[in-house]
Amino acid sequence: MATDFWASSHYKRWNIDRATVKLARSQDLQYVDDPEYLDFLSIFFANLIGKLGKKLGLRQRVIATAIVFFRRFYVKNSYCETDPFVVIAACCYVAAKAEESPIHIKNVVTEARLIFSSEEIGVKTFPSDNHKLAEMEFYLVADLDCDLVVFHPYRTLMSLCGKEGQITIREAEAGEMGTGIDDGPRYWGTGEGKLELQEGAVQLAWFIINDTYRSDLCLLYPPHLIAIAALYLTVVLHATTHNQLHGPPSSQGSQSQTHSSKIAPRRSSRPTNSSLKRHTQQDIVTFLAGLNVNMSLIATIAQEIISMYTLWERYKEDPSDTSARNTFSASQFPSTSNTLPSAPVSGRAGMMRSGSVFSGGTATSSAGTPSTGEDLSGSQHRLGQLPQLVKPAVMTPLFLTQVLLRMREAKMVDMGMVVGGMRPMAYDKRLERAQAAG
Amino acid sequence: MLSAESSNMFMQDPMRFYRAKRDSARRRVGDKYTILGFISSGTYGRVYQARSKEEDGQIHAIKKFKPDKEGDVVTYTGISQSAIREIALNREISHENVVALKEVLLEDKSIYMVFEYAEHDFLQVIHHHSQTLRSNISTSVLKSLTYQLLNGLLYLHNAHIIHRDLKPANILITHQGVVKIGDLGLARLTQEPLQPLFAGDKVVVTIWYRAPELLLGAKHYNKAVDIWAVGCVVAELASLRPIFKGEEAKLDSKKNVPFQKDQLLKIFEVLGTPNEHDWEGLKNMPEYQNMKRMDTYNTQLHKWCMSRQSLATAQGFDFLNQLFKYDPDQRLSAKEALQHQWFQETPKPTANAFHGLPQHQIPPNRRITQDDAPSMMPLPAVAATSQLQTTAASQLQAAQAQAQLSGKGSAGSFGSVGGAGHTRKKARLG
Ligand SMILES: Nc1ncnc2c1ncn2[C@@H]1O[C@H](COP(=O)(O)OP(=O)(O)OP(=O)(O)O)[C@@H](O)[C@H]1O
Ligand SMILES: [Mg+2]
Repeated sequence: MATDFWASSHYKRWNIDRATVKLARSQDLQYVDDPEYLDFLSIFFANLIGKLGKKLGLRQRVIATAIVFFRRFYVKNSYCETDPFVVIAACCYVAAKAEESPIHIKNVVTEARLIFSSEEIGVKTFPSDNHKLAEMEFYLVADLDCDLVVFHPYRTLMSLCGKEGQITIREAEAGEMGTGIDDGPRYWGTGEGKLELQEGAVQLAWFIINDTYRSDLCLLYPPHLIAIAALYLTVVLHATTHNQLHGPPSSQGSQSQTHSSKIAPRRSSRPTNSSLKRHTQQDIVTFLAGLNVNMSLIATIAQEIISMYTLWERYKEDPSDTSARNTFSASQFPSTSNTLPSAPVSGRAGMMRSGSVFSGGTATSSAGTPSTGEDLSGSQHRLGQLPQLVKPAVMTPLFLTQVLLRMREAKMVDMGMVVGGMRPMAYDKRLERAQAAG
Repeated sequence: MLSAESSNMFMQDPMRFYRAKRDSARRRVGDKYTILGFISSGTYGRVYQARSKEEDGQIHAIKKFKPDKEGDVVTYTGISQSAIREIALNREISHENVVALKEVLLEDKSIYMVFEYAEHDFLQVIHHHSQTLRSNISTSVLKSLTYQLLNGLLYLHNAHIIHRDLKPANILITHQGVVKIGDLGLARLTQEPLQPLFAGDKVVVTIWYRAPELLLGAKHYNKAVDIWAVGCVVAELASLRPIFKGEEAKLDSKKNVPFQKDQLLKIFEVLGTPNEHDWEGLKNMPEYQNMKRMDTYNTQLHKWCMSRQSLATAQGFDFLNQLFKYDPDQRLSAKEALQHQWFQETPKPTANAFHGLPQHQIPPNRRITQDDAPSMMPLPAVAATSQLQTTAASQLQAAQAQAQLSGKGSAGSFGSVGGAGHTRKKARLG
């Protein structure tokens, strides 16, 4: 089973189509002012899981599993009817157990409270009682139908990139991919030939995979296809970068050796300009095409990854950081040279794997209020007083938290409840929409 | 219209309505099953026999994980690692020789795993032969049980699962004589572990079935530990008593794992003391120096086999010998074991392990008792119970028999199989 993806619960029960994903958000769509906010929430929540996971010392694969659990939970539930923050904490807690790296429930509660109540996010309602999280775990496991084994693209990436990649990564990550890899039969491709990429390129592909969890891709496509799409993007990005900066790869052959990642494997994640050591871009595209996967599907997935980056560009966790974000746009994606990847540069080797193509996207903010200029004096605003949150140019966690709160309130009003425990209030969403539109 | 109070509560606990919705939709154990009685209590919970209210009244075994308690109040404190494992792995697998999980029900802070029912288990068979029949298990039955056990194990190993707690009580047999490996509570995926195996569980495999590399403190081990356990199980089927019945040294106060001298001694007495020639990695074992201080022995395995009817052939001996290789890398794999010549020798294994057996040689059905902790589960209907039990005396008797069979010494009041203060020691730590 662990090797047989096609027989797994992941494939049989959790590989779902876009219509199902859409349907899952239909109630939220009813209560959100702008449908786009839901996509930003998707990024926001994934980042939060990453942040909490890192605080708890979880490895990247455990974090990825937690995000998958979170997405699966919200295939069956609505944001506006639940508390995503409690769900996030429960996902981390269960994922740690499912991936055999258990953590104490108390730590989860403590760290989650710290992170969620920070000024940046401003959620003060996270329960301090361990039992509450344990209770959520129970409901979460039930909603997951007890399917707790999750497949990820990382393994495909490692086996596709062959020994070279595997060995350096294994040494460097001290077990991120596992001690004593016991690789079974492959469930895709021919198994012939390996892609020889330098570590920088492998790492970029790894980061792209990390980033894919910010969207629903992990629900829509089998992990091996996501891995191949990530590799495909890596190839495109790197070749272009390379050509722009230094001309064709062949002329840089000797220099590549001096930049060999083995010399200073962890100092920088910035790929050397010659990451495509022995392959031209065309070679690799041919190689990918030779795997027996549907290349047009790969192109679709790659396109969706790019769309996610485009969206993410307008999301910001650290208001003071603008550089990386603003230079990275979809239109520039294939040709951008100076922004990729400015991912983590220092820190423990084990943490490197958690990097992203957008280093800024995971930066922790110390800033208080977002400086995006929208009318967001926050929670004092009550429904009816504020017809719509003014859509900011850049999304921030605090804004998204407001969006969430507002969705929940709107849902509550619909259920006929009194808001805030003070003033009963007639609230007609359609009316408000009409007003806003007119 | 809901009150201001309830809306406040909603903001305070936004999951209230979610839970209410789920709770009302949840199918309860009592809606779907009639509990017929109590089968056994283990480390992590209690196992019940139940009849499905649908599907023509099929019989199932329901394993209820102990709910956590704080004082007298049942509360949520987090699902145990063991339950998560057993659930996660069982949801992925499906094989004729592995007990099938039908569904999982979560209700009132407890987890109920509903399994296909298996009427017998290896321990029962051993007992039936040693206590009632006072005769050996026939070669045909022994071989069939072993073959099917290996067949299930091959599936698990191919799926990169190490069982880590194979022993007679965890290997079940259906009414139709089909072997079903059960109890994946200690099992683990070995593919790409984020943590080395030893990091998670200090002690694995019940002491009598524990492989020498584990006893010698190996930090890395693999599927071969299951094969060793199979060897022990085969030997026990052949001789009706555990082949290496050592005394477990207890963990010290700091939970350090002590040197398991007595268990190793029991092994060496039969297999001889291992040396670097047979097992290259031996000198790297953490307990190597401790082992060196023990007396040395020569192997007696050939003699041992020749005096047990069902293994007393060249192939029988070779088979067991290969399962008991000290060097884990030289031990047979499940696949190699299935291909061993011993299975080609007549009598050959049969799909129904009890094929052709007279009824009295088949062990009796599981004894079902009244739950001695009724609060744990809704009590069975009176009618259902009375079918199974007649008098209080017989219930008590049955309870004792069951406790002995499963070696549980329920509440510490019953002796174990071997007597003399031995218990079939659990592999697990709390
Ligand atoms: N599917 C089943 N059909 C019939 N009986 C079963 C079944 N599963 C378990 N049992 C009985 O319940 C006992 C305990 O089950 P199991 O080993 O799964 O639980 P456990 O709590 O892990 O026990 P232990 O601590 O003894 O290993 C078994 O030894 C067997 O007697
Ligand atoms: Mg058991």
